[in-house]
Amino acid sequence: MLEDKRHLKLHLIVLVLVVLAEFIGTKSFKVGPGTVVLLPMLYALLLGLLTGPKFLRITDMEDMKTAESLITVSVLLLMAKYGTNIGPTLPLIIKSGPALILQEFGNLGTVLLGMPFALMLGLRREAIGATFSIAREPNLAIISDMYGLDSPEGRGVMGVYLCGTLFGSIFFGLFAGIAATTLPLHPYALAMASGVGSASMMSAAVGALVEIFPNMAEEITAFGAASNLATGADGVYMSIFMAIPMCEWMYRKLVGDRAEEVTKR
Amino acid sequence: MKLSIKDPVVITVIVAILTLVGNFVGYKIDPITAFPGMLILYLIVIGGLWITKIMPGNLPAVVYVSLLGIVLTMPWFPLGEKVAELTSQVNFLALTTPILGYAGISMGKDIDAFRKQGVKIVLVAIFVFVGTYIASAVIAHMVLKLTGQI
Repeated sequence: MLEDKRHLKLHLIVLVLVVLAEFIGTKSFKVGPGTVVLLPMLYALLLGLLTGPKFLRITDMEDMKTAESLITVSVLLLMAKYGTNIGPTLPLIIKSGPALILQEFGNLGTVLLGMPFALMLGLRREAIGATFSIAREPNLAIISDMYGLDSPEGRGVMGVYLCGTLFGSIFFGLFAGIAATTLPLHPYALAMASGVGSASMMSAAVGALVEIFPNMAEEITAFGAASNLATGADGVYMSIFMAIPMCEWMYRKLVGDRAEEVTKR
Repeated sequence: MKLSIKDPVVITVIVAILTLVGNFVGYKIDPITAFPGMLILYLIVIGGLWITKIMPGNLPAVVYVSLLGIVLTMPWFPLGEKVAELTSQVNFLALTTPILGYAGISMGKDIDAFRKQGVKIVLVAIFVFVGTYIASAVIAHMVLKLTGQI
């Protein structure tokens, strides 16, 4: 009964958040050469955070845990909606299949550049966990399996996971808007890139793109959703068979030999 | 059988109601107009959850829910156009707002763990986000161009 009340309380809070966030509405404004798009979902996120024990004290630790369990269920309707976005544009998506599939390898570019960057900053084995993926739940599970979450690799993936949880959707929402207005890339390509494997990050990025290119809204949403679905399906294999081996290889090349010498002494 | 408020079937009804409210406040689509579309989305979720239960393998429900949505709106499906038209009355951004509301509430518990992370890991995270996005977009752009799509 107590748990039921907790659920009810959370839904009522979210109702208030939704009304407030949607009432403010989408705002976009120019900053320098780019356009920054602020979406209702981002206000809902920040307002939700404000209800916590550190701020308004409307919610406590138990509420936060229950809220987390509600995220997975609340995503289902959005996923159904994305399915109905993809369906009508399926002929176009099939025609763009090669682009959709090949851009999935974009993730590996992050390893090539991200590993040296992380090592340069002074990270060691943490760099592997931190750069092999954008660190969503499935990636966390992989590292937990291969190295354990207490390992340096585990600390790396956990760090990026926390960053993604806290400001991932805000970041992608803002960044997609800026990228769309400053880079010479087609909206379809930006839409495909939005499917990074997290429903909220993808929605934030796609939402910003739709605001900037309203006449392509249908295609942009469909490409983003299709790419996100593809990442959901192939991301795990991509990580295990390509990204992590690449990270390991780069680690050996860049620090491995020296590190071994140090430990031998 | 008594349905609990913790059951996904019930939670989804509540999220659907929250979305209809947001859909009205933010996108000026009144709940009566959006209701048939929302009902279809709800049935897709229920169907997807059922398929997840009976299918072998451990694929998450989101996969089957999305696939069911795709199949029901494909041009080759007889009622596809009608389903797409009705569900288009529910704005996808209206669906994201409640999700991030729950996410925002739950975020508080990660703040302390986040504070313990160094500034370096934050820089790496930003690098990873930007890198993944730009690299994918550049590849997609080039392939779309090469295949004459854009």
